[in-house]
Amino acid sequence: MEPLTGMGVLALMGAAATIAGASEDLESDVGSQSNPNSQVQLAPQMMYPHRIHSKAVSGEPPSNALMCAIGGTTASVLISTGASAVLALAIGAIVAAAIHGTYSITAYMGRSASQKRFKQPVYLDVIRSHTPVIMGYAFITTICILVVSYLMVTALAHPFPLPLLAFIWGITVGAIGSSTGDVHYGAERQFQNVEYGSGLNAANSGNIVRKAESGLRNGIDNSWFCAKFGGPVTGLAFGMTVFLSGWVTAVFDATKGDAIGWVSVIAGVIIVLMLILWNRNIEVAARAAYGPYKEDEAEAEVAA
Amino acid sequence: MSAGGSGAAAEAIPQNKIIAFGVVGGLIGIYAAYFLVDIVGSYMSFIGALGAICGMVWGAASVRRVASYGLGTGVPSIGMLALGMGVLAATFGLAVGGVAGPVIALVTAAIIGLMIGVLANKILKMGIPIMEISMTEIATAGTITIIGLAIAMTGTFDFPVVLSQVITTGYIAVIFIAGGLAILHPFNACLGPDETQDRTLMCALEKGAIAMVVAGIVASINEGASGALTILIGLAIWYIGFSGYYERVKRDAYAVVGTGLLPTKEELE
Repeated sequence: MEPLTGMGVLALMGAAATIAGASEDLESDVGSQSNPNSQVQLAPQMMYPHRIHSKAVSGEPPSNALMCAIGGTTASVLISTGASAVLALAIGAIVAAAIHGTYSITAYMGRSASQKRFKQPVYLDVIRSHTPVIMGYAFITTICILVVSYLMVTALAHPFPLPLLAFIWGITVGAIGSSTGDVHYGAERQFQNVEYGSGLNAANSGNIVRKAESGLRNGIDNSWFCAKFGGPVTGLAFGMTVFLSGWVTAVFDATKGDAIGWVSVIAGVIIVLMLILWNRNIEVAARAAYGPYKEDEAEAEVAA
Repeated sequence: MSAGGSGAAAEAIPQNKIIAFGVVGGLIGIYAAYFLVDIVGSYMSFIGALGAICGMVWGAASVRRVASYGLGTGVPSIGMLALGMGVLAATFGLAVGGVAGPVIALVTAAIIGLMIGVLANKILKMGIPIMEISMTEIATAGTITIIGLAIAMTGTFDFPVVLSQVITTGYIAVIFIAGGLAILHPFNACLGPDETQDRTLMCALEKGAIAMVVAGIVASINEGASGALTILIGLAIWYIGFSGYYERVKRDAYAVVGTGLLPTKEELE
């Protein structure tokens, strides 16, 4: 393939992946999936019943793998019957979003019903208002992952079939969404009522913020908050993963010879090293700028 | 001790009955589909998915049992483990076994599961009393799920056909994850001190029906299997499963309300 075409395809994949990452994180935040879910689950047991959606489908990687594999399967079936790719990917994503909707409903109902002794009601309006939002985000995530997978199969001639690639990218986007985006929701949003940077004291476990700027807080309020930082940063992380991992082989095409193949490996290692150094510098700069937690400093002085 | 705590789960239906339901129902489904597709016609392939649903319900019941020993975040992992062991055993069994393939796959799965269970308890010292038997059950249930859904997609468990229409085409990925989630999701969704067995298993039926519908979508492009009937029956079972689940949610929940404020302090005391 022409290197220029390869770079174009890669740019398109990177853009689709960025959107997929952002929508994946916001989708999980609407339902408090993954790590923040432990506090949502714990809250009623600590006498804090709430109106926050609890989408305990599974961890984010398996649930996104399910969405993307179902979308990829449906799309692949439609493409093999001669349907246009755009239509096939869209219908695949619709089927995946619908199935994800049923999973999120059974999860919310089941988790809330199992908290009977702590008097956590099942609010049907939470299901009615949150499920379409969850399905909307699930559709965007799935179709973007399908675009990435489809481009890999057709334009980059990847040997794996579409459903398998979609499955693997589904796991990846779930894993990155879980590790990157959850921090912003779990640590910052659920515990806005404690001083910033004070960590989570065991006594505060389950004492999540349940009242919103207006009325009672719900999952859609949380996705609004996360759309400011957590979602976009997850998108950037996933987009960079897709773009940079493809970039090394697009520029240094391994099919042109073993030597160029090894250059692509070295380029990959250099990128990883650069990212490690960059991250370390950000951490050091942040610690230097914001310093240790104030109380620690005061305690340290008293101890001295 | 209730589910989600650290002891044996309360069971309205004894596990032995569920094991019998899973093994017998699964094998009947797999073999009935295999022979009836040849004798009657390709539209009988849906029976394979019914066998797979037996496997998924059994798998969910086993996950519920073993995960009740305080395996909170381990529930998804154990479901994935089930299908991982299942894929190994199913491909091995079908590759060497011919007509006896599913039985060989089940025996292989049981051996792999038992080994993993022994490793978990003896080497990792997890100390869960039912680990060995549960791992054996989960691996076998995963294998039935995979073979059942594969037969619903292709109409046969002849290895060359399964290899070319399920594994090479990548549809094994959707079998793996839809079957795995049907096994792990029910207990994960119903986790909590007031979890009940029939509600969890009804959720497994509903998720199994979704896997059946997806298998039907794939079957629609394979000549040996019929997609339309599989999708229709899958949707009917999904409806039964979902309404049954909702009935049990209404029965078990503190309250199911259209909308409302949080319970007051007086109510909570």
